Amino acid sequence: MTITNTATNTSTTISREQWGSRFGYLMAIIGAMVGAGNIWRMPYVTGENGGGAFLIAYFVLLYLIAVPGLMGETALGRYTRQGLIGTFRKVYGNNRMVGLGLVILVFNIVLMSYYSSVVGWSIYYAYHALIGTFTQTGFDTAALWQSFSHNKVLNIGMHTIAMLMVTGILLLGIKGGIERMAKWMMPILTIALIAIAIRGLTLPGAMAGLEFSFSPNWEYLARGQTWLAALGQALFSTGLGWGIALTYGSYLGRNDDIPLGGGLFTAVGNTSFGLLAVFAVFPIVFAFGISPTSGPELAFVALASAFGSMTGGYVWALLFFAGFFFANLTTALAITEVGVTTCKEERNIPRSRAVLMICGLIWLLGIPSAINADILGYLDFVLGNWGLPLATFIIMITIGWKFDANRLRILSLNRGSDLYIPSAWEATVRYQIPLIMLGIMAYFLYSNLGEAPLKTLSGLFVLMLMIPLCMGVMKRRLEGQDSQHVAGGRLS
Amino acid sequence: MSFSAIVVMVSSMLALWGVATLAMIYSMRQEDRKLTLLKEQGDFEPFSPAAQRDIEDWLARHPDGDEAREMRELLECQRQAMQNNARHFYPWPSIGAERQ
Repeated sequence: MTITNTATNTSTTISREQWGSRFGYLMAIIGAMVGAGNIWRMPYVTGENGGGAFLIAYFVLLYLIAVPGLMGETALGRYTRQGLIGTFRKVYGNNRMVGLGLVILVFNIVLMSYYSSVVGWSIYYAYHALIGTFTQTGFDTAALWQSFSHNKVLNIGMHTIAMLMVTGILLLGIKGGIERMAKWMMPILTIALIAIAIRGLTLPGAMAGLEFSFSPNWEYLARGQTWLAALGQALFSTGLGWGIALTYGSYLGRNDDIPLGGGLFTAVGNTSFGLLAVFAVFPIVFAFGISPTSGPELAFVALASAFGSMTGGYVWALLFFAGFFFANLTTALAITEVGVTTCKEERNIPRSRAVLMICGLIWLLGIPSAINADILGYLDFVLGNWGLPLATFIIMITIGWKFDANRLRILSLNRGSDLYIPSAWEATVRYQIPLIMLGIMAYFLYSNLGEAPLKTLSGLFVLMLMIPLCMGVMKRRLEGQDSQHVAGGRLS
Repeated sequence: MSFSAIVVMVSSMLALWGVATLAMIYSMRQEDRKLTLLKEQGDFEPFSPAAQRDIEDWLARHPDGDEAREMRELLECQRQAMQNNARHFYPWPSIGAERQ
Protein backbone atom coordinates (compact mmCIF):
# COMPACT_ATOMS: atom_id res chain seq x y z
CA MET A 1 0.00 0.00 0.00
CA THR A 2 1.29 3.43 -0.81
CA ILE A 3 -0.23 6.29 1.07
CA THR A 4 -1.03 9.45 -0.81
CA ASN A 5 -2.18 12.26 1.35
CA THR A 6 -2.16 15.46 -0.58
CA ALA A 7 -3.98 17.28 2.20
CA THR A 8 -0.90 17.16 4.38
CA ASN A 9 1.61 18.02 1.68
CA THR A 10 3.45 21.20 2.33
CA SER A 11 5.91 21.10 -0.51
CA THR A 12 5.11 21.50 -4.15
CA THR A 13 3.33 18.35 -5.25
CA ILE A 14 3.53 17.43 -8.88
CA SER A 15 1.59 14.69 -10.58
CA ARG A 16 3.86 11.73 -10.09
CA GLU A 17 3.50 8.01 -10.36
CA GLN A 18 3.77 6.08 -7.08
CA TRP A 19 4.51 2.53 -6.02
CA GLY A 20 1.33 0.50 -6.09
CA SER A 21 1.90 -1.45 -2.88
CA ARG A 22 4.25 -1.66 0.06
CA PHE A 23 5.30 -5.17 -0.91
CA GLY A 24 5.96 -3.95 -4.45
CA TYR A 25 8.23 -1.13 -3.25
CA LEU A 26 10.12 -3.44 -0.89
CA MET A 27 10.68 -6.02 -3.63
CA ALA A 28 11.70 -3.34 -6.14
CA ILE A 29 14.25 -1.73 -3.82
CA ILE A 30 15.66 -5.08 -2.69
CA GLY A 31 15.78 -6.18 -6.33
CA ALA A 32 17.67 -3.01 -7.15
CA MET A 33 20.35 -3.78 -4.57
CA VAL A 34 20.65 -7.56 -5.00
CA GLY A 35 22.81 -8.23 -8.03
CA ALA A 36 25.70 -10.31 -9.27
CA GLY A 37 27.92 -9.20 -6.38
CA ASN A 38 25.65 -10.84 -3.79
CA ILE A 39 25.85 -14.21 -5.51
CA TRP A 40 29.35 -14.47 -6.91
CA ARG A 41 31.26 -12.21 -4.51
CA MET A 42 29.77 -12.32 -1.01
CA PRO A 43 30.35 -16.07 -0.31
CA TYR A 44 33.96 -15.88 -1.43
CA VAL A 45 34.79 -12.63 0.35
CA THR A 46 33.28 -14.02 3.55
CA GLY A 47 35.36 -17.17 3.43
CA GLU A 48 38.56 -15.39 2.41
CA ASN A 49 38.41 -12.79 5.17
CA GLY A 50 38.03 -14.86 8.27
CA GLY A 51 34.48 -16.21 7.90
CA GLY A 52 32.64 -15.31 11.08
CA ALA A 53 35.09 -12.51 11.85
CA PHE A 54 34.32 -10.91 8.50
CA LEU A 55 30.58 -11.26 9.12
CA ILE A 56 30.91 -9.46 12.47
CA ALA A 57 32.84 -6.62 10.85
CA TYR A 58 30.27 -6.58 8.07
CA PHE A 59 27.28 -6.40 10.42
CA VAL A 60 28.85 -3.53 12.37
CA LEU A 61 29.44 -1.52 9.19
CA LEU A 62 26.08 -2.45 7.70
CA TYR A 63 24.16 -1.13 10.69
CA LEU A 64 26.46 1.85 11.32
CA ILE A 65 26.81 3.07 7.74
CA ALA A 66 24.66 1.40 5.09
CA VAL A 67 21.37 1.49 7.00
CA PRO A 68 21.58 5.18 8.03
CA GLY A 69 22.94 6.18 4.62
CA LEU A 70 20.11 4.51 2.72
CA MET A 71 17.60 6.15 5.05
CA GLY A 72 19.03 9.57 4.21
CA GLU A 73 19.17 9.01 0.46
CA THR A 74 15.58 7.68 0.32
CA ALA A 75 14.33 10.50 2.56
CA LEU A 76 15.90 13.13 0.29
CA GLY A 77 14.28 11.59 -2.81
CA ARG A 78 10.89 11.38 -1.11
CA TYR A 79 11.20 15.02 0.05
CA THR A 80 12.13 16.49 -3.34
CA ARG A 81 10.03 14.04 -5.41
CA GLN A 82 12.53 14.58 -8.20
CA GLY A 83 15.20 12.62 -10.00
CA LEU A 84 18.93 13.24 -9.49
CA ILE A 85 19.33 16.60 -11.20
CA GLY A 86 15.97 17.93 -9.98
CA THR A 87 16.96 17.00 -6.43
CA PHE A 88 20.29 18.79 -6.69
CA ARG A 89 18.54 21.83 -8.15
CA LYS A 90 16.09 21.87 -5.28
CA VAL A 91 18.90 21.63 -2.72
CA TYR A 92 21.61 23.83 -4.27
CA GLY A 93 19.43 26.27 -6.23
CA ASN A 94 19.60 26.76 -9.96
CA ASN A 95 23.36 27.06 -10.32
CA ARG A 96 26.46 25.19 -11.47
CA MET A 97 26.44 22.96 -8.36
CA VAL A 98 23.58 21.05 -10.01
CA GLY A 99 26.40 19.62 -12.12
CA LEU A 100 27.21 17.35 -9.16
CA GLY A 101 23.93 15.57 -9.82
CA LEU A 102 24.95 15.24 -13.46
CA VAL A 103 28.24 13.64 -12.36
CA ILE A 104 26.33 10.91 -10.51
CA LEU A 105 23.99 10.47 -13.46
CA VAL A 106 26.96 9.97 -15.79
CA PHE A 107 28.39 7.35 -13.39
CA ASN A 108 25.06 5.50 -13.46
CA ILE A 109 24.93 5.50 -17.24
CA VAL A 110 28.53 4.29 -17.51
CA LEU A 111 27.89 1.65 -14.84
CA MET A 112 24.86 0.39 -16.73
CA SER A 113 26.75 0.42 -20.03
CA TYR A 114 28.90 -2.48 -18.82
CA TYR A 115 26.47 -4.03 -16.33
CA SER A 116 24.25 -4.69 -19.35
CA SER A 117 26.91 -7.13 -20.56
CA VAL A 118 26.71 -8.97 -17.21
CA VAL A 119 22.92 -9.19 -17.64
CA GLY A 120 23.59 -10.50 -21.16
CA TRP A 121 25.90 -13.23 -19.79
CA SER A 122 23.22 -14.32 -17.34
CA ILE A 123 20.60 -14.43 -20.12
CA TYR A 124 22.92 -16.59 -22.20
CA TYR A 125 23.50 -19.02 -19.33
CA ALA A 126 19.82 -19.08 -18.34
CA TYR A 127 19.07 -20.03 -21.96
CA HIS A 128 21.67 -22.83 -21.85
CA ALA A 129 20.24 -24.05 -18.56
CA LEU A 130 16.79 -24.09 -20.15
CA ILE A 131 17.90 -26.20 -23.11
CA GLY A 132 19.81 -28.54 -20.80
CA THR A 133 23.33 -27.83 -22.06
CA PHE A 134 25.01 -28.30 -18.68
CA THR A 135 23.60 -31.80 -18.13
CA GLN A 136 25.04 -33.18 -21.38
CA THR A 137 27.55 -35.94 -20.73
CA GLY A 138 31.12 -34.69 -20.56
CA PHE A 139 30.14 -31.10 -21.25
CA ASP A 140 33.04 -28.66 -20.78
CA THR A 141 31.74 -25.48 -19.09
CA ALA A 142 35.17 -23.81 -19.23
CA ALA A 143 35.17 -24.22 -23.03
CA LEU A 144 31.67 -22.71 -23.24
CA TRP A 145 32.77 -19.71 -21.19
CA GLN A 146 35.92 -19.28 -23.30
CA SER A 147 34.07 -19.47 -26.60
CA PHE A 148 31.33 -17.15 -25.36
CA SER A 149 33.84 -14.63 -24.00
CA HIS A 150 35.67 -14.48 -27.33
CA ASN A 151 32.57 -14.26 -29.51
CA LYS A 152 32.14 -10.53 -30.02
CA VAL A 153 28.98 -10.74 -32.11
CA LEU A 154 27.30 -12.98 -29.56
CA ASN A 155 28.27 -10.63 -26.73
CA ILE A 156 26.86 -7.63 -28.59
CA GLY A 157 23.73 -9.68 -29.25
CA MET A 158 23.30 -10.56 -25.57
CA HIS A 159 23.98 -6.95 -24.57
CA THR A 160 21.29 -5.90 -27.08
CA ILE A 161 18.79 -8.45 -25.75
CA ALA A 162 19.50 -7.30 -22.19
CA MET A 163 18.87 -3.67 -23.12
CA LEU A 164 15.73 -4.57 -25.07
CA MET A 165 14.38 -6.34 -21.98
CA VAL A 166 15.23 -3.37 -19.75
CA THR A 167 13.63 -1.00 -22.27
CA GLY A 168 10.47 -3.09 -22.54
CA ILE A 169 9.98 -3.28 -18.77
CA LEU A 170 10.76 0.39 -18.15
CA LEU A 171 8.30 1.41 -20.86
CA LEU A 172 5.58 -0.13 -18.67
CA GLY A 173 6.36 2.38 -15.93
CA ILE A 174 7.26 2.26 -12.24
CA LYS A 175 4.19 0.39 -11.06
CA GLY A 176 3.36 -1.60 -14.19
CA GLY A 177 6.97 -2.39 -15.09
CA ILE A 178 9.58 -2.33 -12.32
CA GLU A 179 7.22 -3.12 -9.44
CA ARG A 180 5.30 -5.84 -11.24
CA MET A 181 8.52 -7.60 -12.31
CA ALA A 182 10.17 -7.31 -8.89
CA LYS A 183 7.09 -8.71 -7.14
CA TRP A 184 7.56 -11.93 -9.11
CA MET A 185 11.29 -12.09 -9.63
CA MET A 186 12.48 -11.55 -6.06
CA PRO A 187 10.30 -14.27 -4.48
CA ILE A 188 11.34 -16.65 -7.30
CA LEU A 189 15.01 -15.81 -6.66
CA THR A 190 14.50 -16.47 -2.94
CA ILE A 191 12.80 -19.82 -3.54
CA ALA A 192 15.43 -20.82 -6.11
CA LEU A 193 18.33 -20.09 -3.74
CA ILE A 194 16.61 -21.87 -0.83
CA ALA A 195 15.95 -24.93 -2.98
CA ILE A 196 19.55 -25.01 -4.23
CA ALA A 197 20.84 -24.54 -0.67
CA ILE A 198 18.75 -27.48 0.59
CA ARG A 199 19.99 -29.64 -2.29
CA GLY A 200 23.57 -28.51 -1.80
CA LEU A 201 23.56 -29.26 1.93
CA THR A 202 22.53 -32.85 1.28
CA LEU A 203 25.65 -33.47 -0.83
CA PRO A 204 28.55 -35.34 0.77
CA GLY A 205 31.28 -32.92 1.84
CA ALA A 206 28.96 -29.93 1.73
CA MET A 207 29.61 -29.02 5.37
CA ALA A 208 33.19 -28.08 4.50
CA GLY A 209 31.73 -25.19 2.48
CA LEU A 210 29.84 -23.90 5.50
CA GLU A 211 32.91 -24.41 7.69
CA PHE A 212 34.96 -22.31 5.21
CA SER A 213 32.35 -19.56 5.22
CA PHE A 214 31.38 -19.39 8.89
CA SER A 215 34.35 -20.65 10.87
CA PRO A 216 35.51 -17.54 12.75
CA ASN A 217 39.20 -16.68 12.55
CA TRP A 218 39.21 -13.98 15.18
CA GLU A 219 42.66 -12.64 14.32
CA TYR A 220 41.13 -11.36 11.08
CA LEU A 221 39.15 -8.82 13.11
CA ALA A 222 42.42 -7.05 13.92
CA ARG A 223 43.37 -6.78 10.24
CA GLY A 224 42.57 -3.62 8.33
CA GLN A 225 42.04 -5.66 5.15
CA THR A 226 39.08 -7.50 6.73
CA TRP A 227 37.36 -4.24 7.65
CA LEU A 228 38.07 -2.77 4.23
CA ALA A 229 36.62 -5.84 2.49
CA ALA A 230 33.58 -5.67 4.78
CA LEU A 231 33.21 -1.97 4.08
CA GLY A 232 33.47 -2.48 0.34
CA GLN A 233 30.89 -5.26 0.40
CA ALA A 234 28.53 -3.30 2.69
CA LEU A 235 28.69 -0.16 0.55
CA PHE A 236 28.87 -1.56 -2.97
CA SER A 237 26.36 -4.31 -2.38
CA THR A 238 23.75 -1.94 -0.97
CA GLY A 239 24.28 0.63 -3.73
CA LEU A 240 24.45 3.44 -1.19
CA GLY A 241 24.77 6.90 -2.70
CA TRP A 242 24.41 6.00 -6.38
CA GLY A 243 21.06 7.76 -6.76
CA ILE A 244 19.04 4.53 -6.88
CA ALA A 245 17.52 4.82 -3.39
CA LEU A 246 16.95 8.53 -4.09
CA THR A 247 15.11 7.81 -7.35
CA TYR A 248 13.01 4.97 -5.92
CA GLY A 249 12.31 7.10 -2.83
CA SER A 250 10.98 9.88 -5.05
CA TYR A 251 8.09 7.58 -6.01
CA LEU A 252 7.09 6.98 -2.38
CA GLY A 253 3.99 8.61 -0.92
CA ARG A 254 4.39 11.52 1.52
CA ASN A 255 3.42 9.43 4.54
CA ASP A 256 5.07 6.15 3.59
CA ASP A 257 7.62 4.81 6.02
CA ILE A 258 11.30 5.22 5.14
CA PRO A 259 13.48 4.11 8.08
CA LEU A 260 12.20 0.56 8.31
CA GLY A 261 11.55 -0.17 4.62
CA GLY A 262 13.97 2.10 2.79
CA GLY A 263 16.77 1.75 5.36
CA LEU A 264 16.78 -1.32 7.56
CA PHE A 265 14.95 -3.77 5.29
CA THR A 266 16.83 -2.66 2.17
CA ALA A 267 20.28 -3.06 3.70
CA VAL A 268 19.63 -6.16 5.81
CA GLY A 269 17.42 -7.79 3.18
CA ASN A 270 20.08 -7.27 0.54
CA THR A 271 22.69 -8.91 2.75
CA SER A 272 20.24 -11.71 3.50
CA PHE A 273 20.50 -12.69 -0.15
CA GLY A 274 24.28 -12.71 0.22
CA LEU A 275 23.91 -15.11 3.14
CA LEU A 276 21.48 -17.23 1.14
CA ALA A 277 24.06 -17.34 -1.65
CA VAL A 278 26.65 -18.61 0.86
CA PHE A 279 24.33 -21.53 1.63
CA ALA A 280 23.47 -22.10 -2.03
CA VAL A 281 26.94 -21.81 -3.53
CA PHE A 282 29.62 -22.98 -1.12
CA PRO A 283 28.27 -26.39 -0.10
CA ILE A 284 28.18 -27.28 -3.83
CA VAL A 285 31.62 -25.78 -4.47
CA PHE A 286 33.16 -27.84 -1.67
CA ALA A 287 31.15 -30.99 -2.37
CA PHE A 288 32.55 -31.06 -5.90
CA GLY A 289 36.06 -30.13 -4.82
CA ILE A 290 36.03 -26.90 -6.84
CA SER A 291 38.52 -24.24 -5.86
CA PRO A 292 36.62 -21.40 -4.16
CA THR A 293 36.78 -18.28 -6.25
CA SER A 294 34.72 -15.20 -7.03
CA GLY A 295 33.56 -13.50 -10.18
CA PRO A 296 32.16 -14.85 -13.44
CA GLU A 297 34.21 -18.07 -13.30
CA LEU A 298 32.44 -19.15 -10.09
CA ALA A 299 28.97 -18.95 -11.63
CA PHE A 300 29.64 -19.68 -15.27
CA VAL A 301 32.35 -22.31 -15.04
CA ALA A 302 32.50 -23.92 -11.59
CA LEU A 303 28.82 -23.97 -10.65
CA ALA A 304 27.61 -24.75 -14.19
CA SER A 305 29.93 -27.75 -14.16
CA ALA A 306 28.78 -28.84 -10.68
CA PHE A 307 25.10 -28.63 -11.65
CA GLY A 308 25.82 -30.83 -14.65
CA SER A 309 27.22 -33.53 -12.37
CA MET A 310 24.35 -33.44 -9.87
CA THR A 311 21.27 -35.65 -9.85
CA GLY A 312 18.45 -33.53 -11.23
CA GLY A 313 21.09 -31.08 -12.44
CA TYR A 314 18.77 -29.63 -15.08
CA VAL A 315 16.40 -28.28 -12.43
CA TRP A 316 19.18 -26.90 -10.21
CA ALA A 317 20.99 -25.24 -13.11
CA LEU A 318 17.75 -23.71 -14.36
CA LEU A 319 16.79 -22.46 -10.90
CA PHE A 320 20.23 -20.97 -10.31
CA PHE A 321 20.70 -19.25 -13.66
CA ALA A 322 17.09 -18.02 -13.83
CA GLY A 323 17.48 -16.60 -10.30
CA PHE A 324 20.85 -15.09 -11.19
CA PHE A 325 19.32 -13.48 -14.27
CA PHE A 326 16.43 -12.05 -12.20
CA ALA A 327 18.89 -10.60 -9.67
CA ASN A 328 20.88 -8.91 -12.44
CA LEU A 329 17.84 -7.70 -14.34
CA THR A 330 16.17 -6.01 -11.36
CA THR A 331 19.47 -4.21 -10.63
CA ALA A 332 19.77 -3.16 -14.27
CA LEU A 333 16.24 -1.74 -14.16
CA ALA A 334 17.12 0.36 -11.12
CA ILE A 335 20.39 1.72 -12.51
CA THR A 336 18.69 2.65 -15.80
CA GLU A 337 15.67 4.17 -14.03
CA VAL A 338 17.95 6.76 -12.41
CA GLY A 339 18.65 8.12 -15.89
CA VAL A 340 15.08 7.70 -17.16
CA THR A 341 13.47 9.63 -14.29
CA THR A 342 16.02 12.43 -14.59
CA CYS A 343 15.78 12.63 -18.39
CA LYS A 344 11.97 12.71 -18.28
CA GLU A 345 11.96 15.58 -15.80
CA GLU A 346 14.81 17.61 -17.20
CA ARG A 347 13.69 17.48 -20.81
CA ASN A 348 10.00 17.53 -19.89
CA ILE A 349 9.22 14.66 -22.25
CA PRO A 350 6.93 11.61 -21.96
CA ARG A 351 8.34 8.65 -20.04
CA SER A 352 8.39 6.42 -23.13
CA ARG A 353 10.64 8.87 -24.96
CA ALA A 354 12.96 9.19 -21.97
CA VAL A 355 13.20 5.38 -21.74
CA LEU A 356 14.08 5.07 -25.42
CA MET A 357 16.65 7.88 -25.22
CA ILE A 358 18.44 6.58 -22.10
CA CYS A 359 18.30 2.92 -23.09
CA GLY A 360 19.50 3.78 -26.60
CA LEU A 361 22.40 5.77 -25.17
CA ILE A 362 23.34 2.98 -22.78
CA TRP A 363 23.14 0.39 -25.56
CA LEU A 364 25.49 2.46 -27.71
CA LEU A 365 27.94 3.13 -24.88
CA GLY A 366 27.82 -0.54 -23.88
CA ILE A 367 29.04 -1.91 -27.19
CA PRO A 368 32.79 -1.44 -26.43
CA SER A 369 32.37 -3.30 -23.10
CA ALA A 370 30.45 -6.08 -24.84
CA ILE A 371 33.20 -6.45 -27.43
CA ASN A 372 36.20 -6.14 -25.17
CA ALA A 373 36.35 -7.48 -21.62
CA ASP A 374 39.35 -5.23 -20.92
CA ILE A 375 37.18 -2.15 -21.44
CA LEU A 376 34.56 -3.60 -19.12
CA GLY A 377 37.29 -4.32 -16.56
CA TYR A 378 38.75 -0.81 -16.87
CA LEU A 379 35.38 0.90 -16.40
CA ASP A 380 34.62 -1.34 -13.41
CA PHE A 381 38.06 -0.55 -11.97
CA VAL A 382 37.60 3.22 -12.25
CA LEU A 383 33.96 3.33 -11.17
CA GLY A 384 34.30 0.74 -8.41
CA ASN A 385 37.41 2.28 -6.89
CA TRP A 386 36.61 5.99 -7.17
CA GLY A 387 33.47 6.78 -9.16
CA LEU A 388 30.90 5.18 -6.90
CA PRO A 389 32.59 6.24 -3.62
CA LEU A 390 32.70 9.77 -5.06
CA ALA A 391 28.98 9.59 -5.87
CA THR A 392 28.25 8.43 -2.31
CA PHE A 393 30.46 11.23 -0.93
CA ILE A 394 28.61 13.86 -2.99
CA ILE A 395 25.15 12.63 -1.95
CA MET A 396 26.05 12.36 1.74
CA ILE A 397 27.64 15.82 1.82
CA THR A 398 24.53 17.17 0.09
CA ILE A 399 22.24 15.55 2.66
CA GLY A 400 24.38 16.19 5.72
CA TRP A 401 25.60 19.72 5.10
CA LYS A 402 23.84 21.51 2.26
CA PHE A 403 20.29 20.32 2.93
CA ASP A 404 21.04 19.81 6.65
CA ALA A 405 20.69 16.33 8.07
CA ASN A 406 18.76 17.67 11.06
CA ARG A 407 16.15 19.29 8.82
CA LEU A 408 15.83 16.23 6.58
CA ARG A 409 15.36 13.96 9.58
CA ILE A 410 12.55 16.15 10.90
CA LEU A 411 10.88 16.95 7.57
CA SER A 412 11.07 13.67 5.74
CA LEU A 413 12.77 10.78 7.54
CA ASN A 414 10.49 10.68 10.57
CA ARG A 415 7.35 11.49 8.61
CA GLY A 416 5.00 8.50 8.59
CA SER A 417 7.85 6.35 9.86
CA ASP A 418 7.40 2.98 11.52
CA LEU A 419 10.61 3.55 13.44
CA TYR A 420 11.61 6.85 15.10
CA ILE A 421 15.11 7.96 14.13
CA PRO A 422 16.93 10.00 16.80
CA SER A 423 19.41 12.82 16.22
CA ALA A 424 22.42 10.46 16.45
CA TRP A 425 21.67 9.56 12.81
CA GLU A 426 22.76 13.03 11.71
CA ALA A 427 26.40 12.56 12.71
CA THR A 428 26.61 9.39 10.63
CA VAL A 429 25.51 11.20 7.50
CA ARG A 430 27.53 14.36 8.16
CA TYR A 431 30.83 12.89 9.28
CA GLN A 432 31.10 9.11 9.28
CA ILE A 433 30.09 8.23 5.73
CA PRO A 434 31.85 11.13 3.91
CA LEU A 435 35.07 10.52 5.85
CA ILE A 436 34.94 6.81 5.14
CA MET A 437 34.38 7.51 1.44
CA LEU A 438 37.42 9.79 1.35
CA GLY A 439 39.41 7.10 3.16
CA ILE A 440 38.33 4.43 0.68
CA MET A 441 39.27 6.56 -2.33
CA ALA A 442 42.66 7.41 -0.77
CA TYR A 443 43.33 3.74 0.07
CA PHE A 444 42.42 2.57 -3.43
CA LEU A 445 44.69 5.25 -4.88
CA TYR A 446 47.55 4.16 -2.60
CA SER A 447 47.07 0.45 -3.28
CA ASN A 448 46.59 0.72 -7.05
CA LEU A 449 49.12 3.39 -7.91
CA GLY A 450 52.07 1.01 -7.64
CA GLU A 451 50.40 -1.95 -9.37
CA ALA A 452 48.54 -0.20 -12.19
CA PRO A 453 49.78 3.39 -12.41
CA LEU A 454 48.48 4.06 -15.94
CA LYS A 455 44.99 2.74 -15.23
CA THR A 456 44.85 4.54 -11.90
CA LEU A 457 46.07 7.93 -13.13
CA SER A 458 44.03 7.91 -16.34
CA GLY A 459 40.89 6.89 -14.44
CA LEU A 460 41.41 9.53 -11.80
CA PHE A 461 42.11 12.17 -14.46
CA VAL A 462 38.83 11.40 -16.25
CA LEU A 463 36.92 11.43 -12.97
CA MET A 464 38.43 14.70 -11.80
CA LEU A 465 37.70 16.22 -15.20
CA MET A 466 34.08 15.09 -14.92
CA ILE A 467 33.24 17.43 -12.02
CA PRO A 468 34.17 20.79 -13.67
CA LEU A 469 32.86 19.51 -17.00
CA CYS A 470 29.42 18.66 -15.60
CA MET A 471 29.31 21.92 -13.65
CA GLY A 472 30.16 23.78 -16.86
CA VAL A 473 27.43 21.93 -18.77
CA MET A 474 24.82 22.86 -16.17
CA LYS A 475 26.03 26.47 -16.10
CA ARG A 476 25.73 26.75 -19.90
CA ARG A 477 22.30 25.14 -19.78
CA LEU A 478 21.23 27.64 -17.15
CA GLU A 479 22.54 30.55 -19.22
CA GLY A 480 20.69 29.15 -22.25
CA GLN A 481 17.45 28.97 -20.26
CA ASP A 482 17.94 32.54 -19.01
CA SER A 483 18.47 33.90 -22.54
CA GLN A 484 15.37 32.00 -23.75
CA HIS A 485 13.36 33.56 -20.93
CA VAL A 486 14.62 37.03 -21.83
CA ALA A 487 13.84 36.49 -25.52
CA GLY A 488 10.44 35.07 -24.63
CA GLY A 489 9.75 38.07 -22.43
CA ARG A 490 10.62 40.53 -25.22
CA LEU A 491 8.46 38.70 -27.71
CA SER A 492 5.50 38.64 -25.39
CA MET B 1 31.17 -28.28 11.58
CA SER B 2 32.89 -26.72 14.57
CA PHE B 3 30.81 -25.31 17.42
CA SER B 4 32.06 -21.75 16.77
CA ALA B 5 31.10 -21.98 13.08
CA ILE B 6 27.60 -23.16 14.06
CA VAL B 7 27.24 -20.23 16.49
CA VAL B 8 28.32 -17.73 13.82
CA MET B 9 26.04 -19.34 11.24
CA VAL B 10 22.96 -19.28 13.48
CA SER B 11 23.73 -15.72 14.66
CA SER B 12 24.07 -14.56 11.04
CA MET B 13 20.77 -16.18 10.11
CA LEU B 14 19.03 -14.41 12.99
CA ALA B 15 20.74 -11.06 12.39
CA LEU B 16 19.93 -11.09 8.68
CA TRP B 17 17.00 -13.33 7.78
CA GLY B 18 15.32 -12.81 11.14
CA VAL B 19 15.64 -9.02 11.09
CA ALA B 20 14.73 -8.72 7.38
CA THR B 21 11.63 -10.90 7.76
CA LEU B 22 10.45 -9.07 10.87
CA ALA B 23 11.10 -5.68 9.27
CA MET B 24 9.14 -6.64 6.15
CA ILE B 25 6.14 -8.07 8.03
CA TYR B 26 6.00 -5.20 10.53
CA SER B 27 6.38 -2.58 7.80
CA MET B 28 3.62 -4.11 5.66
CA ARG B 29 1.25 -4.36 8.65
CA GLN B 30 1.90 -0.74 9.60
CA GLU B 31 1.22 0.45 6.06
CA ASP B 32 -2.00 -1.59 6.08
CA ARG B 33 -3.02 0.26 9.24
CA LYS B 34 -2.37 3.58 7.49
CA LEU B 35 -4.50 2.47 4.56
CA THR B 36 -7.34 1.50 6.90
CA LEU B 37 -7.18 4.92 8.58
CA LEU B 38 -7.19 6.64 5.21
CA LYS B 39 -10.20 4.68 4.05
CA GLU B 40 -12.11 5.22 7.28
CA GLN B 41 -11.32 8.83 8.10
CA GLY B 42 -9.42 10.13 5.07
CA ASP B 43 -6.38 11.22 7.05
CA PHE B 44 -4.06 10.43 9.94
CA GLU B 45 -1.34 12.26 11.79
CA PRO B 46 1.99 12.11 9.90
CA PHE B 47 4.28 12.41 12.93
CA SER B 48 4.83 10.41 16.09
CA PRO B 49 4.96 12.25 19.46
CA ALA B 50 8.78 12.24 19.40
CA ALA B 51 8.87 13.48 15.78
CA GLN B 52 6.38 16.24 16.64
CA ARG B 53 8.58 17.34 19.55
CA ASP B 54 11.51 17.56 17.11
CA ILE B 55 9.53 19.98 14.91
CA GLU B 56 8.59 22.11 17.93
CA ASP B 57 12.19 22.17 19.17
CA TRP B 58 13.45 23.08 15.71
CA LEU B 59 10.98 25.97 15.47
CA ALA B 60 12.04 27.21 18.88
CA ARG B 61 15.61 27.36 17.62
CA HIS B 62 14.83 28.74 14.12
CA PRO B 63 11.65 30.81 14.35
CA ASP B 64 12.17 32.84 11.14
CA GLY B 65 12.59 32.28 7.40
CA ASP B 66 11.18 30.04 4.66
CA GLU B 67 12.35 26.88 6.34
CA ALA B 68 10.49 27.86 9.52
CA ARG B 69 7.35 28.47 7.47
CA GLU B 70 7.64 24.97 6.00
CA MET B 71 8.02 23.49 9.50
CA ARG B 72 5.06 25.49 10.79
CA GLU B 73 2.89 24.20 7.97
CA LEU B 74 3.85 20.64 8.86
CA LEU B 75 3.06 21.25 12.51
CA GLU B 76 -0.28 22.74 11.56
CA CYS B 77 -1.09 19.67 9.43
CA GLN B 78 -0.20 17.50 12.38
CA ARG B 79 -2.41 19.49 14.75
CA GLN B 80 -5.35 19.42 12.36
CA ALA B 81 -4.99 15.69 11.83
CA MET B 82 -4.88 15.17 15.59
CA GLN B 83 -7.98 17.30 16.14
CA ASN B 84 -10.04 16.02 13.22
CA ASN B 85 -9.37 12.31 13.52
CA ALA B 86 -10.77 10.14 16.25
CA ARG B 87 -8.30 7.33 15.57
CA HIS B 88 -4.57 7.89 15.48
CA PHE B 89 -1.75 5.99 13.87
CA TYR B 90 0.86 6.58 16.55
CA PRO B 91 0.38 5.81 20.25
CA TRP B 92 -0.31 9.04 22.15
CA PRO B 93 -0.16 8.50 25.93
CA SER B 94 -2.33 11.43 26.88
CA ILE B 95 -5.22 10.38 24.64
CA GLY B 96 -5.04 6.67 25.34
CA ALA B 97 -8.43 6.64 27.05
CA GLU B 98 -10.03 8.53 24.17
CA ARG B 99 -8.70 6.00 21.66
CA GLN B 100 -10.36 3.15 23.50
